[in-house]
Amino acid sequence: MLVLTRKAEESITIGNNITVSVLEIRGNHVRLGIKAPKDIPVNRTEVFESIIMENIRASETPMDLENLSESLKTNDGK
Amino acid sequence: MNKIITTRFGELEIDETKSIHFRDGLLGFPDKKNFIILDHKPGSPFLWLQSIDAPDLAFVMTNPFLTKSDYLKDISPEEEAFLKNENDDEVIIFSLVTIPRGEVEKATVNLMGPIVIESKSRNAKQVILANSGYSHRHPITFG
Repeated sequence: MLVLTRKAEESITIGNNITVSVLEIRGNHVRLGIKAPKDIPVNRTEVFESIIMENIRASETPMDLENLSESLKTNDGK
Repeated sequence: MNKIITTRFGELEIDETKSIHFRDGLLGFPDKKNFIILDHKPGSPFLWLQSIDAPDLAFVMTNPFLTKSDYLKDISPEEEAFLKNENDDEVIIFSLVTIPRGEVEKATVNLMGPIVIESKSRNAKQVILANSGYSHRHPITFG
């Protein structure tokens, strides 16, 4: 991992068009500003990882869907 | 037409013109890029997303609007942009279903990370809607 030291109001540039700025440092909180093209998703890592974990859980689905199917038919759509 | 032997469905003929392609793979499965969609059975709200690259990898998908009829109605323009491609082609949206083993009644749908498939190109991606308030474990409600 590349490690860089930055002060508040300084930034780094990733590739040609992604800029991460340190906006504010307060205690152990750092506010970051991220400028990236619209098609580049930017997410908190824990959110990204929660989707990965959920995909892994979803891939462990048992064979039998019959019960679930039947139950969903009575779903009132809420 | 190629054949694969899957764990769940036995031998399947793969119609390449109907397969879908995740350019970046599914999240957590970056090298699994090619899938086919199989019907669960007539009238079922579920479909299978079967990997062509890994015979033992399959997901259950459903139409998220069946569980949440106002799904995606209030998302931000930024997040809405992730659901489209540059040509604004028609897309189909699915959600993966998680069914804990032996606990069917605890099944959930991932509304935070929908699967978006472009109808024409059959390119697909998984999008994270982190600011929408949708859960990655939204309960499938029972009447």
